[in-house]
Amino acid sequence: MLADAAAGLRRNGLMAAAATTTMALALLVAGGGFVVSANLAHLAGTLEAQVEVVGFFRRDVPPAAQERVLAQTVALGGTSAATLVTRAEALRRLQQTYRSMASVPAVLPGNPLPDSIEVRVADPRRIREVAEALRAMEGVEDVVYGAAVVDRVIALTRAVRVAGLVATALLVGCALVIIVNTIRLAVAARRQEIEIMALVGASPGFVRGPFLVEGLLQGAAAALAATVALTAAYLVLAARAAASLPFLPVLAPGAVLPAALAVLWSLGLVVGLGGSEIGLRRYLTA
Amino acid sequence: MIHFDGVGKRYPTGVAALSQVTVRIDPGEFVFLVGPTGSGKSTFLKLIQAIERPTTGRVVVDGDDVGALPAAAVPRLRRRLGVVFQEFKLLPDRTVADNVAFALRVTGTDPVEIGPRVQWALETVGMAPRADDLPARLSGGEQQRVCLARAIVTRPRVVLADEPTGNLDPEAAWEIVQLLARINLRGTTVLVSTHNPTLVDILRRRVIELCAGRIVRDEARGLYQATR
Repeated sequence: MLADAAAGLRRNGLMAAAATTTMALALLVAGGGFVVSANLAHLAGTLEAQVEVVGFFRRDVPPAAQERVLAQTVALGGTSAATLVTRAEALRRLQQTYRSMASVPAVLPGNPLPDSIEVRVADPRRIREVAEALRAMEGVEDVVYGAAVVDRVIALTRAVRVAGLVATALLVGCALVIIVNTIRLAVAARRQEIEIMALVGASPGFVRGPFLVEGLLQGAAAALAATVALTAAYLVLAARAAASLPFLPVLAPGAVLPAALAVLWSLGLVVGLGGSEIGLRRYLTA
Repeated sequence: MIHFDGVGKRYPTGVAALSQVTVRIDPGEFVFLVGPTGSGKSTFLKLIQAIERPTTGRVVVDGDDVGALPAAAVPRLRRRLGVVFQEFKLLPDRTVADNVAFALRVTGTDPVEIGPRVQWALETVGMAPRADDLPARLSGGEQQRVCLARAIVTRPRVVLADEPTGNLDPEAAWEIVQLLARINLRGTTVLVSTHNPTLVDILRRRVIELCAGRIVRDEARGLYQATR
């Protein structure tokens, strides 16, 4: 059957090459879309993880009351970290961050900063809920959490995921249509062969087998070509991005390529096999 | 070997191709199927191959009831039949030998057997010297002989020939009918549909005449036209 499929590919070389090239391009675009989508999701995730809620205590709140707020905050659930920051620590950080202003506290009558509580939430979508709960707690004067930034990051993440899925679905759909049509043409070019097979008593499996294997081989060849192109392109682009845009959190090749290639190969084989099956159906039931 | 019992065939378009056809063809017979275009000859042959199923009655071929045959069993029936087509149906991109071997390969014949059997079939039809040629390099008569070799290479119990001489000159047509007669001498049942009166009249074999889907004549040593 494998020999028949290989012979079929040889006989219809041009058609097979056209189908394989088309599928390879579609798979490359789908694989590229997956990689870009994964990187954007990673970027969004990184930004999300950096967003935190800060609650500022009134100046008269004693440490024991602050500890109670900390305990209540942890008890809310959904937080990944919660720590109390004394006004002295806050001032030290300020001086560290703005070194040119290191001498400013010396001219002030005292430390003007309040004690605070810093909270990181496990799921960024719950940040608003945690902030409101913190605001309602005894002794908390104000809460800051960069609502707009968080909301935009969450919206961006969702948009990236949805757009990635839609783009991939569209491209896979296009690839399937192209493959079905090219395989249908290949089958049409060999309809006499199929007719003779059926008339001399070849079993349906024998008639379909070589065509299905052909589709599978074309899918595998296309996936292989797309694998080489995608891997090479990602290695080059990721290295360049790391060098010229160090603040951009680009996924390491080992973290994204295995999944992208698994998707690409699955699509290639399924589309090759499925395309052959659909292409054959018309002639074998006609 | 072949038994039609009250067979009717009506196509979904409403055309009644055969009605009340009852006939028996015994093993080893040579039968001409004659009649005008549209009389039901092709439908008769299609029913034997299970390409079509009867609307009424029973068609039994080599013990199998075609009407009740499950789809999965059809290939097994067809392997016992050899078919010759008016338009040859040879694969243009394969040699003569490959075209003949095709029928064996697609029916799962042991590869060791294929070479000798192809050689035997080509020798039987006198085409062994052209084994490596492509069909395009052959005359019509030669192409039909290759088609005949492909039909007999599976050693079928029945050879069906649908207008096998329709595209041939008289000399080539006579060669094909002689080959069919020689194959019949080895015990193979041969059923030939034809419009060629000369061949029928020279050979004087059993003639079944169809007209408007009914058998109007069945003679043991008949002529193309009924004798009045």
